[in-house]
Amino acid sequence: MTENVEHALTLGERIKEALAFKTVFTVHVAGLSIPVTETVITTWIVMAVLIIASLLLTRRLTEVPKGAQVLVEGIVGGLNDFFKNQIGHNWRIFAPWIGTVALYLGIANLLGFFSPLPVFGFEPPFALKPPTRDINVTAALSILTILIVIVSGIAIKGVRAWLKSFVKPAPFMLPFNILEYFIRPLSLCLRLYGNILGAFIVMELLAMVAPLFLPPIASLYFDFFDGLIQAVVFTFLSTLYIAEAVE
Amino acid sequence: MNPMIAIGAAMAVLTGVGAGIGIGLATGKAVDAIARQPEASGKIQSVFLLGIALAEATAIYGFVIAMMALFS
Repeated sequence: MTENVEHALTLGERIKEALAFKTVFTVHVAGLSIPVTETVITTWIVMAVLIIASLLLTRRLTEVPKGAQVLVEGIVGGLNDFFKNQIGHNWRIFAPWIGTVALYLGIANLLGFFSPLPVFGFEPPFALKPPTRDINVTAALSILTILIVIVSGIAIKGVRAWLKSFVKPAPFMLPFNILEYFIRPLSLCLRLYGNILGAFIVMELLAMVAPLFLPPIASLYFDFFDGLIQAVVFTFLSTLYIAEAVE
Repeated sequence: MNPMIAIGAAMAVLTGVGAGIGIGLATGKAVDAIARQPEASGKIQSVFLLGIALAEATAIYGFVIAMMALFS
């Protein structure tokens, strides 16, 4: 009995250690010391992947697409069609932001899939952890989205129409409409963060308890499927919110 | 660790029951709707995705609260 309790404790402590955000290095600027955590480093990796991929894949574009160009045109065209369908004639203003978020989340959520696993006493020198398991990342993304919703609502509809939208469909809806501007970013942020953190914890537990065959298979579901679904859901919901604000 | 904290975290995670039932119902109805009107599958799919995202949020709130209870 006591042995079991001790085992559970060490498991909990190992999870706690895996959940902590290690500070890789600290930048000293003008008397301030800014800690650069794992999250920032992995975000840089995602940015590098996206920038290099888009530079490489858009060289030598041809009239008739072939090879990798078909894939790129498929992704960009698919995203643009989706925005066109949802937002309407103003879609061009918003496509860069939501498209970038979609690509970033798509790659960031998949990072855990490419992380080396500790098997056969092999200690991997680094572990790729998805940056979206940090609530600061998802909070920043959702706050930016709700700011875009507010600003575009005012800019496209005009101040009067925007203020009037608070008392639609009936005046007693006013408090709920105001609350919506706080609940929407909160739920966007927590949904993404909770899903990715949950998948991350399950994967860590699996790697600790059964490190041999299970993690790669489970990773297909938890990292690949769930990560992509969450990227789609975040993109879809922010598109819907923007579409509702500008219609 | 205080056992009461562990029990509290387990109770917080019970919110998953509601989300599971909700998502199951929504999926069943979506399959029903698509089987009846396959041409409307695009619209049904987008509404369905929105619905399960909102239903799932309750489970996620419970999970985040459990995490906060356990690890902070």
